[in-house]
Amino acid sequence: MNNDNIEEILKNIGEEEIPADVHKIAQETSNNFSSSLQRTKQSKQHILLEQIMKSRITKLAAAAVIFIAVIAGLPLLDSKQGVALADVLAKIEQVRAFMYRTKMTMTGAVMSGRPDMKIQTDATVTISNDYGMKMEMVMTDANSGKEEMTQKMYIIPDQKLMISLMPKHKKYMRMEFDDDLLASMKRQNNDPREMIKQIMGSEYTELGRSVIDGIDVEGFHTTDPAFYGGAVENVECTLWVDVEEWLPVRTEMDFKMNEQMQMQGVIYDFQWDIPVVASDFEPVIPDDYTAFATEGMKMPSITEEAALEGLKFFAEITGQYPKKLNLVNLMQEFSAIKNNKNQTDAGMKLKEEMDRGQIDERTKKLTETIVKVQSIGMFYMTLIQNKKEPAYYGETVGPEDTDAVLLRWKISDNEYRIIFGDLSVENVTAEELARLEKPL
Amino acid sequence: MKQSERLEIFEKLRAEHSVFLLSVLWKLTGDRELFTEAMQYTLMGMWEHIDKLNGRQAGAYIYRIALSSNSRAWRNRIGRNGDFARSRIDIEADPGEKLGRVELTVKVRKAISRLPEKQGRAIVMRYLEQHDYETISEKLCCTKASARSHVSKALAALKEKLATSA
Repeated sequence: MNNDNIEEILKNIGEEEIPADVHKIAQETSNNFSSSLQRTKQSKQHILLEQIMKSRITKLAAAAVIFIAVIAGLPLLDSKQGVALADVLAKIEQVRAFMYRTKMTMTGAVMSGRPDMKIQTDATVTISNDYGMKMEMVMTDANSGKEEMTQKMYIIPDQKLMISLMPKHKKYMRMEFDDDLLASMKRQNNDPREMIKQIMGSEYTELGRSVIDGIDVEGFHTTDPAFYGGAVENVECTLWVDVEEWLPVRTEMDFKMNEQMQMQGVIYDFQWDIPVVASDFEPVIPDDYTAFATEGMKMPSITEEAALEGLKFFAEITGQYPKKLNLVNLMQEFSAIKNNKNQTDAGMKLKEEMDRGQIDERTKKLTETIVKVQSIGMFYMTLIQNKKEPAYYGETVGPEDTDAVLLRWKISDNEYRIIFGDLSVENVTAEELARLEKPL
Repeated sequence: MKQSERLEIFEKLRAEHSVFLLSVLWKLTGDRELFTEAMQYTLMGMWEHIDKLNGRQAGAYIYRIALSSNSRAWRNRIGRNGDFARSRIDIEADPGEKLGRVELTVKVRKAISRLPEKQGRAIVMRYLEQHDYETISEKLCCTKASARSHVSKALAALKEKLATSA
């Protein structure tokens, strides 16, 4: 390419007209920021900022082949002025590496038809801006005290890889990310920085001062459904911050993942600016370990294309679309095909494939189906996170409802994108959408 | 500085530079999500550094903050290997426009976000804001010849970045 081409492109960019909706976006963004600066709570002179950045949280569900999402929060407290959350983010983003512990208890039925479980997961998470993330966790049956699984998980952004080691079973698993999921996980990692953005984007109350482990702290509490992007219910989250260091000390949370499942947990023992080297994030796979059947598989995608493929697959197997797109609900609905007497041919075939063969083959097949199905939920969650106003009508719309709206979301001020019952996709105006949604 | 003073300065700067920020950030990003992200980072940067923005150099600082915010927003979209998440780029494509040209424009924007600060500013002022060299030299506090040189080097750097990403 020569300079003339580049200059021409640059000139065209310079002469570009700014779309009308971008003017509005700029105005709203600027006004929202300003409003946040000027808002005060409970007559204290704290500066509160609303959600600064859109949050694209990637949630990894836990089970034998799914992953626990770890959440931490990070408010910053100036003992003279109170919390200035912009300063919090600024300080946090200077931290190159940090670690924390978590203790989470998940209660309920992970899969449809299975008995209720109470699983406790203790984890140590280390995050490095330069090298990635490492999580070491132990899952225990909280009722019996029996250790079910230990796992060491590494997320290596450079290679777009997630590697998981299971020492008890002497197995390892490698899964690749695509660009979208990697970008999300690099930004998120469910780490303290994202928690504070969630808090900032929610309605919360200040709890005042307390003492934890001899440290003076200030607390922030939210029950706002908007917390975590609306992906969970009955949320309660409390963040405790060291008033001198402007760093988090403890986070407590309690929320409902769906009708059957509850998650409670605490994040604690934060250590900041820890020295790390690259080798800390490079998993060493012992020679006597064997690869999980999912070797070389990819993690769920969060694109529209992956969601469409997932919906198509779900309908082929079950004869209908998922009723809800909550990640846990998706898995529970899908796993119910085993007990479904009205299975489709494809559903019966899949069930047979998953019942026969060696454990590794069955696991691989199971993971392949989970990845496809989870893509639907991941995509939907990003729509919520990005405030695209999604609406899903899977409870009433099926594959035979070719002209009915199955899923829609906003793409601009007056435009929506629709996935119809026949999985065709179209952009429509707000007026057209209103007409299409009327019968629903 | 008292909180009320900070707010007053911030509001004044916000009003003074809103048109500039809208124009420059949109031209640098060309994508609504990127634009929003870059705008948010810019406002945050202005608030964080409000102490430095209460003077004659405010415009230059805000310029620097805006370019840095643009780079940051692009970095969030770009994987370590330099690829950007194609599906995240909201390409304003006229149906008649060739896809290759549209993609090239995105690549040029991405390459600008990775230029060193002075070269980035030179390119933005010359082509995106369409200033003459006299204005550029005033803003960059250099001679006209130096301003031309900055633009020329920036173009060369862009060409090299685009060649390596091809």
